[in-house]
Amino acid sequence: MIEDIVGKIGQEALRLIIGLVGVVAFVVVNALLLTWMERKVAGHMQRRIGPKEVGPFGLLQPIADALKLLGKEILTPKKVEKPLYYLAPTLIFIPALTSFVVIPFDAYLQVQDINVGILVILALSSLTVLSILVAGWGSENKYSLIGAIRSVAQNVAYEIPLLLSLLPVVMLTNSLSLKDIVEAQGKIWFVVLQPVAFFIYFIAAVAETNRTPFDLPEAESELVAGYHTEYSGMRFALFFLAEYTNIFIVSAIATTFFLGGYRGPLLPGILWFFIKSYLLVFVIMWFRWTYPRVRFDQLLNFSWKMLIPLTFVNLIITGGLLKL
Amino acid sequence: MVEEVKSGISQLLRERRPVEEPYGEKGYHLSVDMAPKDLIDVGRFFKEKGFYLACALCVDFRDYLELVYFFAHHEGHCRVKVTSRLDPQAPYAPSLSSVFGSALWYEREIHEFFGVRFEGHPNMAYLFLHGGIDFYPLRKEKVMVSEEDRALLNSFRPEEGEDTFFINLGPQHPSTHGVLRVVLKMDGEYIERAEPVMGYLHRMHEKMAENRTYLQFLPNTGRMDYLGAMAFNLGYVTAVERLCGIKAPPRAQYVRVIATELNRISSHLLWLGAYLADLGAMTPFLYVFDDREQILDILEGITGSRLTYCYFRFGGLFNDVDEDFITGVRRFIARMRGRFQIYDDLVTKNVIFINRTRNVGVITRETARQYGVSGPVLRGAGIAMDMRKKEPYAAYGEFDFSIPTGSYGDAHDIYLVRFKEMEESLNIIEQALNGLPEGPIMAEKVPKKLKPPKGDLYHVVETPRGELGIYIVSDESDIPYRMKWRVPSFANLMVFPELVRGCLLADAIAILGSLDLVIPEIDR
Repeated sequence: MIEDIVGKIGQEALRLIIGLVGVVAFVVVNALLLTWMERKVAGHMQRRIGPKEVGPFGLLQPIADALKLLGKEILTPKKVEKPLYYLAPTLIFIPALTSFVVIPFDAYLQVQDINVGILVILALSSLTVLSILVAGWGSENKYSLIGAIRSVAQNVAYEIPLLLSLLPVVMLTNSLSLKDIVEAQGKIWFVVLQPVAFFIYFIAAVAETNRTPFDLPEAESELVAGYHTEYSGMRFALFFLAEYTNIFIVSAIATTFFLGGYRGPLLPGILWFFIKSYLLVFVIMWFRWTYPRVRFDQLLNFSWKMLIPLTFVNLIITGGLLKL
Repeated sequence: MVEEVKSGISQLLRERRPVEEPYGEKGYHLSVDMAPKDLIDVGRFFKEKGFYLACALCVDFRDYLELVYFFAHHEGHCRVKVTSRLDPQAPYAPSLSSVFGSALWYEREIHEFFGVRFEGHPNMAYLFLHGGIDFYPLRKEKVMVSEEDRALLNSFRPEEGEDTFFINLGPQHPSTHGVLRVVLKMDGEYIERAEPVMGYLHRMHEKMAENRTYLQFLPNTGRMDYLGAMAFNLGYVTAVERLCGIKAPPRAQYVRVIATELNRISSHLLWLGAYLADLGAMTPFLYVFDDREQILDILEGITGSRLTYCYFRFGGLFNDVDEDFITGVRRFIARMRGRFQIYDDLVTKNVIFINRTRNVGVITRETARQYGVSGPVLRGAGIAMDMRKKEPYAAYGEFDFSIPTGSYGDAHDIYLVRFKEMEESLNIIEQALNGLPEGPIMAEKVPKKLKPPKGDLYHVVETPRGELGIYIVSDESDIPYRMKWRVPSFANLMVFPELVRGCLLADAIAILGSLDLVIPEIDR
């Protein structure tokens, strides 16, 4: 009996460790891939070809970049709030990393299927804004501070439509487990049943990841670099890494909730999952290289006056239809 | 209009009479000399008549300092030179800043360069110079800065209150496009006060002009406005030709127009890209550079340089254009018309872009007049003043083109005006190509050493950014006695603090971008 329990705990622990190692490896590879992809996408949209010198199709360019960043001197500006300044780049990575635990890459490929999976992800993604605030506050720089303040206001505003747009799906499946949600989309993807929710989720997700047209916390032309103005070298790279990881996470959630997750004909599930996720990532990149940036008050108005009422209406209609 | 002003001033001053001047040689219709105490009354008179203060400057004649004000009218064709003599030992004058907003900075400039003290001016701090310069640079004799004046010059301090903080926008900032520094007093994201600080690129071109011959100064002109170098070149060359009575042959005049308009398009294209980059869209920047590159290639073929051109000479051109140039320009025109359609579809109709620029930085006609704004910014406010039409120089009088204007004066209107201006420029180039006359490209018998007759001239041309006024005082030597450059960006920047009061930081960037400033031109 006791041996059984110990064995089970051991098994679970082993599974978690292997999973986490896998996740860390994936996060790094994913970030490298997305950096390359971003530069290629940008290049082709701007009538150039992007990186092509290092490796085939310039695929090794991100590695060269990473080596460059690693080799840089780690500068600490004199007047920064040292503990906070050091903490922020590490802190921003924790939610990005742990969110992967519950994402089902395939029917059998999930580190841990938690029955409140979506709550875990939403709770963790709210933590990102904390580290941005810490970074902006600790930098003792006015531009960083403005960036951090913008980030907090923006995340509070967009967390709500993000959450509310996922609720109808939960209502449809009666489950908070991501795996159940994917399994429920056997016949029809939820994007067909819930198109409004999908669009709202996607807009809110772009805002949550601070990407153009909602990239106000790091608005280059206004705030120089926003909350990470004072960071350089590897510390800056960590922010960068976290941003790309977050882009992947929001795309993965959209895939899981609305696009049938790993489900798809012919190809193995994991491939379907990645195809769908990276397609969404591509759309997010497409936005960035097409649109100008919105203004801060327009951004907040859009959320509070448009998205949130719309999600409520959508929620009520879904609830009503389910009752019928 | 000239008669009306003449009689009005005669009534006002009684003992001094305005003198009618030969416009063709002087560039102004009337001149009037008066005692400093009368300046404010005369300023009010011009304000009531709807004039704007185009320029204020000072000339050191050793025996006396002469303050010179140029008043001009947006619609009517009338320019008046108002002068007043000051004692060089104790130069005091009343400040016109309470009447014309644009006097604020012109008077600060005169103060730091000549030591003229303006009574009633709210802020006499340094505009271009810094504490390390202990004399007044534009005086003909070395006059040291007094202790009292030094304290006044160094009086600028960024403000910070209980609920506000100040932020330095620049001199190193992605959106100031050069080394402009704006000290913003912020209440959260809202701007309470903006104070531009200039001089990070100050090279004292006006002093350089007093140390070299007319020809030697020619390359300097392209270094002021590096994006509209042709227009500055053309302004200077036509000014000196007018001063010396040289007539350039028609072919040269046509080629001048073609080259200047190509340069205007390249300048506006760069602005388009940079402006959208300011608003957060990076991609158009690379598209416009693609087009701009074509222009630079064409211009490189005839001038030999790609940015700081020095193509025009007194009396003509440096070299003639060939068939390659003409076919190249025709190809460019055809290509560009298609490209405008792309920009129009992707940018002008973008809802985020419209939201970012509509109702932002609204310049009313009154504000425009108050600060002497010119160029596309002025035309965006609905005043159709274009020096190419109003006071034609080179061959501009022979072409048919319209002046696009906005109706509301916000950043979007200014954007549309610049956009249409590029299309108009294409029309001008096409007309000039079709009518390009054969013949020489240099006037005969242009002396090697130019010695213009004694006198002065205020010559105006339209650069991509607006009204460029060149004031030259000649003392019959081969070196200008005094040369003043009334640059468009300087006047356009003056309106900035007014526009951003109470705005969001993001709007301030949008407004700053819409003014299309070139910092080396402001600093000179």
